[in-house]
Amino acid sequence: MPDWKSIIRERIAPLRLEPTGEANLVEEVVQHLEDCYRELRSGGAGEAEAYQSVLSELDDLYPLQAGLQRSERMPKYDAVPAGDIRSSGFVEGIWRDLRYAVRTVRKGPIFALFVVLTLGLGIGANTTVFTLINTLILNPLPVGKAGELAGLQTKDMQSTSKSGVPLPISYENLQDYRARNQVFVSLAGYTSPRVLTWQPAGPAQRVFGELVTGNYFGTLGLAPARGRFFLPEEDSTPGGHAVAVMNYGTWQTLFGGAGNIVGKTLRVNNVVLTIVGVAPPKFIGVNAIFGPDLWIPAAMAEQVLPNEMQGALSDRGKGIFEGVGRLKPGVPRERAQANMAAIAADLARANPAADEGHTVVVLPIREVLFGSNMGGLAPVLFGGAALLVVVGIVLLIACSNVANLLLARSAARRQEMAVRLAMGASRARLIRQLLTESVFLGLLSGVVGLLIGYAGLQLLMGALPGSANFVTPKLDATVFGYALVISLATGFLFGMIPAFNASRAGVSEALKEGARTTGRSRRRVTLAGALLVSQVAFSFLLLMTAALFLRSIGRAYDMDPGFQTKHLAVFMTNPGQAGYGTAQTKAFYKEVRERVARIPGVESVSWSANLPLWSRVVNGLQVEGRQQRSRADKITTVVNTIDLDYFATAGVVLDHGRDFSALDRETSAPVAIVNEKLAHDYWPSGDVLGKRIQLPGEDRMRQVVGVVRTAMYSNWGETPQLCVYVPLEQNYSDSMVLYVRSKADPDQLMGPVQREIRAAGPQILVGSPRTGREIIDGGLFQAKMGVTLLTVFGLLALGLASIGLYGILAYAVNQRQREIGLRMALGASQRSVLGLILRQGLSLVLTGVLIGFVAALLAGRLLSGMLYGVSATDPISIAGAAATLLVVSLLACYLPAHWASRVDPLEALRQG
Amino acid sequence: MLPNPPDQEWKKGSAELLVLSLLEDQPRHGYDISKLIQIRSGGALRFHVTSLYPLLHRLEKQGWIEGLWVEKAEQRRRRYYKLTPLGLSELRAKQKSWKDFVAIVGRVTGMEHA
Repeated sequence: MPDWKSIIRERIAPLRLEPTGEANLVEEVVQHLEDCYRELRSGGAGEAEAYQSVLSELDDLYPLQAGLQRSERMPKYDAVPAGDIRSSGFVEGIWRDLRYAVRTVRKGPIFALFVVLTLGLGIGANTTVFTLINTLILNPLPVGKAGELAGLQTKDMQSTSKSGVPLPISYENLQDYRARNQVFVSLAGYTSPRVLTWQPAGPAQRVFGELVTGNYFGTLGLAPARGRFFLPEEDSTPGGHAVAVMNYGTWQTLFGGAGNIVGKTLRVNNVVLTIVGVAPPKFIGVNAIFGPDLWIPAAMAEQVLPNEMQGALSDRGKGIFEGVGRLKPGVPRERAQANMAAIAADLARANPAADEGHTVVVLPIREVLFGSNMGGLAPVLFGGAALLVVVGIVLLIACSNVANLLLARSAARRQEMAVRLAMGASRARLIRQLLTESVFLGLLSGVVGLLIGYAGLQLLMGALPGSANFVTPKLDATVFGYALVISLATGFLFGMIPAFNASRAGVSEALKEGARTTGRSRRRVTLAGALLVSQVAFSFLLLMTAALFLRSIGRAYDMDPGFQTKHLAVFMTNPGQAGYGTAQTKAFYKEVRERVARIPGVESVSWSANLPLWSRVVNGLQVEGRQQRSRADKITTVVNTIDLDYFATAGVVLDHGRDFSALDRETSAPVAIVNEKLAHDYWPSGDVLGKRIQLPGEDRMRQVVGVVRTAMYSNWGETPQLCVYVPLEQNYSDSMVLYVRSKADPDQLMGPVQREIRAAGPQILVGSPRTGREIIDGGLFQAKMGVTLLTVFGLLALGLASIGLYGILAYAVNQRQREIGLRMALGASQRSVLGLILRQGLSLVLTGVLIGFVAALLAGRLLSGMLYGVSATDPISIAGAAATLLVVSLLACYLPAHWASRVDPLEALRQG
Repeated sequence: MLPNPPDQEWKKGSAELLVLSLLEDQPRHGYDISKLIQIRSGGALRFHVTSLYPLLHRLEKQGWIEGLWVEKAEQRRRRYYKLTPLGLSELRAKQKSWKDFVAIVGRVTGMEHA
């Protein structure tokens, strides 16, 4: 049986019937023809004869055409897609548009490639930044119902309003908060990650551990990936249960995800811990960025913490915990705050020595996830917002670039549009078609952008020290959704203007113009110029900001930190964690000094309790003769315990008085050296030597015997802090940092010094070996990261803008070839033509630079707080950014201008 | 050999009447209708599919007949047409005017037998 169906479909296709009606008609007619055919065959007709006979039924289509009423036929407006004339419905229309878009893309693959790469870079930059934001800000704590959680911190009464630095909570107080509150389902405590010494069979390794209360994991609502979490009894007897829960990442990296991890024992700080479980993947503690390798029950504090923290479980004065609680259903944070503050007031009355002047604050969990010393959520939000703005600008530049290209192309497609309009296509229909095209390109760019974003993320994470302790931002469904949305939005954004512009084409005008567009459409060029000016302005803004930060960092490196960095190397050791007693530790310190001093190239050696730029402050310094207004009125200071020759080794200048000497022993009169800031603040008249101070936790007064220059203690570029130095002999510590001053480059000494330390104490872990330069690098890490990102994005913006500039000028030259030819025929020189095109390009650039400059001045007000020693209107930064931009844009202008000057007048005129 | 087909104009004017008449006693599908017309006319009247189906659709649109897809076991569904009450009264009117017309023509041309 012949395929009547396709025969009929083919015959009636030109009738443009409405599809459902057509399908019914086809079915009816097919049956009719089949019946005819069958009858003819059974009547004895041959196959060919029957076929011809039945086919003759269809010979005259006119009655069919005339007989069907107009309503059954499609309106004939659709002139856009060629080749397929059937149509119905919105979805089918979109599908057809899409197919047409694919064909258009295939026709101009270079153009499509350019668009996709340009937008891909913009979308990629956005994806990278958004992934960070998604991980750190939107989804920082991978636990169930994170909204019910609240953080608990102690604060000084005076500073609560100014969100002062939070103080840790003591274990005893935490127990009271847990027992007495009426607002939390459960309340748990955790410490910050502490450095522990893991002593496997081989060399000792550094791991991080957090002490947590037994209900920690339960409060967070987590389920273990392996094994179990802590049992109630494991957190009840001090020192009774040496168990630990392992970080999932640690399990994967340090133990290769070994199946037998549960039940395994680890020797940590000379205590044998049994691993009872593994925390779920992605969970790194109540912190968005950094987490421990191990969680250990709080009851193990005495066994695990360094000796100065002994008594932390019973002494209300020794706070080491932060609180996290799950609020009872329906309890707002304000009520929890009131309840907890009342308990804190009771505690302060009951234990004035430790708690007077303190209160407790209940914070949204997000506020405590970034560590208290980083300043909480605000700087992270600010940084995230700033980065989003920057990459948003890059994407806008990419969009306007592509929009410009499309505008240029729309000139080429003007005729096509005019023909379609003439054939009855509606404007809306044309706009839809063009938008479908750009959205399709946007989506393609989104795919490329995701890949670029992923690569960018890898690059960024590569800059961080890779370890299981750091958060690992991942591309998840939210990120994919974000990329999809911005791809669609991008498609609309860059497609909108050209689409409206193109569809506005006056039919007769465009058709009359013929194949050659001699006159420029003034509107189109103005629009393109405006887009370009804004691109240049944004590029300038980014470049100048980057230049400012670059200069600022340069200045920061030049700052005098108050200690020498050129010939410095430091090494952290922790003999206490290796199980050393006091005598053994002291012998170790002495032996290391002797051994290291013998290394050729070492000028001097000393010990200090603090790593440079990592000092913590203590609260409660007392100055003899000073009236304390209340018990809470305490002086906050840095305290550093140092060995002999420290100042010489670290390069801290002794202003007056004397250095510690071998005569300052445990049994001799207690002494201290203070910094200029402390001396100036409390003895402005200058007679400091011989005055007495008392350190928190000490019961004797110390006599000030010297004053040294104020240095930077906790952060690079910090506001000056108070500092008190005490001799090691009078303030024993079982974890110290070795300072080595080299005669030449300290890099040569890193290996030999570590060998000597190991020789003196084979089980002792040497942590964080670094040179002075690396110390500054570390102190400026965030700033450098910011500058790197800004520079990368600034250059990206500049690159995009130059390509845009090049594109628009090349297009203009192409369009004006005839005019240029005419000019040259009339006697214009190559030079003047070159100048003409360069002027056109550079006037756009200069306008952009001017606008960008004004914007940069405004942005400078926002930025001035983040700059070291550079004003927001720093002329060198401005000049640098402007020069870079001008040089690059001159190049972008030069090529098209050069071509223009090479136009052969005869050739150009003949074309016209 | 078929007898000479009647003039196209005649056929056109009478087509509606023919289809409506055939549907008076029972619903039929398109092929059935065209077959009956061919057989009863002894092959003198024949509708091409390209004329028949537009005609059926037009009659349906006018509300005189109603098309219905009918499915029978073991068979393909087919579209059957049946006469609507409106169609029946239209048929009556057409029959009457046809009779009148034939009578008048007969009287005028002197071909009247009665």
